[in-house]
Amino acid sequence: MVVKDLNLSIRAGEVFGFLGPNGAGKTTTMNVLLGFVNATSGAAFLFGVDVREPIARQRIGYLPELTYYYKFLTAEELLRFYARIFGIPRAEANRRIDQLLKLVELDSARKCPIKNYSKGMQQRVGLAQALINNPELLILDEPTSGLDPLGRMKVREIIQRLKNEGKTVFFSSHELGEVETVCDRVAIINQGELKVEGRVAELVEQHHANLEKIFLNIIGYSPEPAA
Amino acid sequence: MNTVFALAGVVVKELYRRKDFYVLFVLTAVITLVMGSVSFFNDAKIVRYVKEIALLLIWVSALVIAIGTTARQIPAERESRTIFPLLAKPVTRAQVILGKFAGCWLACGLALIVFYLFFGLVSASREHDWPLLNYVQALWLQWMMLGIVIAFVLLGSVVFAAPSSNATIAFVVVIGILLLGSHLNQVALQQPEPLRTIVYALYFLIPHLEWYDVRDFVIYEQHLPGWTDCGLATLYAAVYAALLLWATWLVFRRKPLSV
Amino acid sequence: MKRAAPYLTLLLLLAASFTLATVLQPRALKWSTRGQSGSLLKVVLGDSRRLFANQFFVQADVTFHSGYYPSIFDQAQAPRNSRHMTAKEGEPEAEQHEKQMNFLGPPRDWIERFGRHFLITEHTHLHGGKEREMLPWLQLSAELDPQKIETYTVAAYWLRNLGKVKEAEDFLRQGMRNNPDSYEILFELGRLCYESNHDPVRARNVWELGLRKWTEAEAAKKNPDLFQLEQIAMNLSRLEEEQGNLVRSIQLLELSKKASPSPQSLQKQINELKQKLAARPPAAAPQPR
Repeated sequence: MVVKDLNLSIRAGEVFGFLGPNGAGKTTTMNVLLGFVNATSGAAFLFGVDVREPIARQRIGYLPELTYYYKFLTAEELLRFYARIFGIPRAEANRRIDQLLKLVELDSARKCPIKNYSKGMQQRVGLAQALINNPELLILDEPTSGLDPLGRMKVREIIQRLKNEGKTVFFSSHELGEVETVCDRVAIINQGELKVEGRVAELVEQHHANLEKIFLNIIGYSPEPAA
Repeated sequence: MNTVFALAGVVVKELYRRKDFYVLFVLTAVITLVMGSVSFFNDAKIVRYVKEIALLLIWVSALVIAIGTTARQIPAERESRTIFPLLAKPVTRAQVILGKFAGCWLACGLALIVFYLFFGLVSASREHDWPLLNYVQALWLQWMMLGIVIAFVLLGSVVFAAPSSNATIAFVVVIGILLLGSHLNQVALQQPEPLRTIVYALYFLIPHLEWYDVRDFVIYEQHLPGWTDCGLATLYAAVYAALLLWATWLVFRRKPLSV
Repeated sequence: MKRAAPYLTLLLLLAASFTLATVLQPRALKWSTRGQSGSLLKVVLGDSRRLFANQFFVQADVTFHSGYYPSIFDQAQAPRNSRHMTAKEGEPEAEQHEKQMNFLGPPRDWIERFGRHFLITEHTHLHGGKEREMLPWLQLSAELDPQKIETYTVAAYWLRNLGKVKEAEDFLRQGMRNNPDSYEILFELGRLCYESNHDPVRARNVWELGLRKWTEAEAAKKNPDLFQLEQIAMNLSRLEEEQGNLVRSIQLLELSKKASPSPQSLQKQINELKQKLAARPPAAAPQPR
């Protein structure tokens, strides 16, 4: 069993951090939310709609950890393809594509095939496709993975901007520093079980430690005494 | 339907941005033109052997494009992980299957048009005649047959892990049906029971792809099958393809996809 | 030195390969004969080219029938030989062939019934100059198997009918070079000389040679090729009759009678010739050969 008795609710408009060590069950939880795998028991809902219904994904955007897109398409073609899936009218799609490519700084490379993109560029095109439908909920799996410090800062800025617009962001990350900065609430999962959940400030006050120490305590790591 | 056509469009783009189609077309064209340039007994009016070779190459190429393109669709999506951002959109697995089918089938149709145009030009240059309706009907029937083949390969792609094994099995089955499909009833009657019943059952179950091979009518300038028969064959192809696509959906909908 | 080591190793390996090749070459000649052939097809295909040759010959027959042809599952009713390809309407070979090609029979089930709409089901033969469409397959067959006699005879027959007498003769001579003892090719060559070139002297020489070749090859056999003997003897007899050599003509008809399925009609012809011979004034009768 990968995830056991997980009960979570995310409120509209908040930035929610989903933390845990490798193999804790974070990605599996996202897979269930996105309908890639079925839960063995229980149910998951997005905006009150069962995740098994495709319409549940109409208002969400998803950025996977490993960003792979159709290599033979250009960034513009990829975004146009996804816009068509969402049923966005052509004129509106063109406007959003222009806006998003400028936001993720890929305007100059919009006509280049994705196979020629660097890792960072692919991550940015991933972010653009996650935002194409102007989602109310953004699910990000390790959004800053593989990015340089400048890239990570830009992602944090985008998350903050989305929060200011009233969007909900649910993301997993190993970068505890940025989680502490950006998130309203966090949940820490270990070995498939939810260990702790709450507002970052409240947790820090409760455990008298920063988020990193709380995380290490929960996963049962105790540092070796210095010689 | 918008989603299905969007997916189909991506498949078509993939076909004409890969090299397969161009390589096959150039090979077909070169072999046909080389064979056409050979003089047999100083007679410039001989044309049927060129038509025969060209149509054989068109059939082989179309099958290679259909099976090769289709066999890698869903496995490639999973392997390259492009299926995850796709299914994270409001797209059902049924739409993915339909979109892939539509894309592969449409791509094959476009390829066939190019091939048959070339074929028409080559035969017209020799015969000074262009039986357009015959070529259209032959193209249509071949396209219908490819619909069944594509649906079959799509089913194989969700059953078999490797595209190569799926493609090999598909080639063997398709060529087997084309060569032997119409004779299975004859073979069955020569067998003892219970083999006779098994072979006869197989004869009724397999899609009769050999109906769609009307090359002989084109080569030997015979009257092609009537439009009613053509319509019935089209209906048969549609039903069979629908059956195979339904089976594909039944298998695919339960498959877990882990990022 | 270190940087040059990979390239030096490559050179060393090349030199070793070259040396081994020169050492092995004379030995390889003993076990590999295919590579020494001048023919590219023989090198590439070996003896399997004969299978392809046969297939191309069958393809020529399929073309002759405009696609109406029995499958391998109808083998029992398939044409046993190629005589129908050169037989005229009304001849026994043509009638037998008509029966053989009636292989379809009533459909066994609805699938077969519907499938017949997508099959060529009418037995026809090419005519009106369209017989030329067989020629490429026959030429390819001859290229692949130069020892397949009927390829030359069938092709030459149709080339003559298409007015391509020179091409027919060239093809037959090519066949003769590859098959110097073939009486079938000699017979066809004789027909070309007689019917197309109107050269009875040459035709006689060729047919007499054909007869000698037949005797050398077939006479001692348990089941000799009587059909071909009859063909040569009958045609030679007709030529001799037209040339006024009635004695020789009668001799050949007697020879034909032994091979013919209808000896009575030949006997009738012999009797007529004998009457003609008897009616001739003694001074005009030429010496028998």
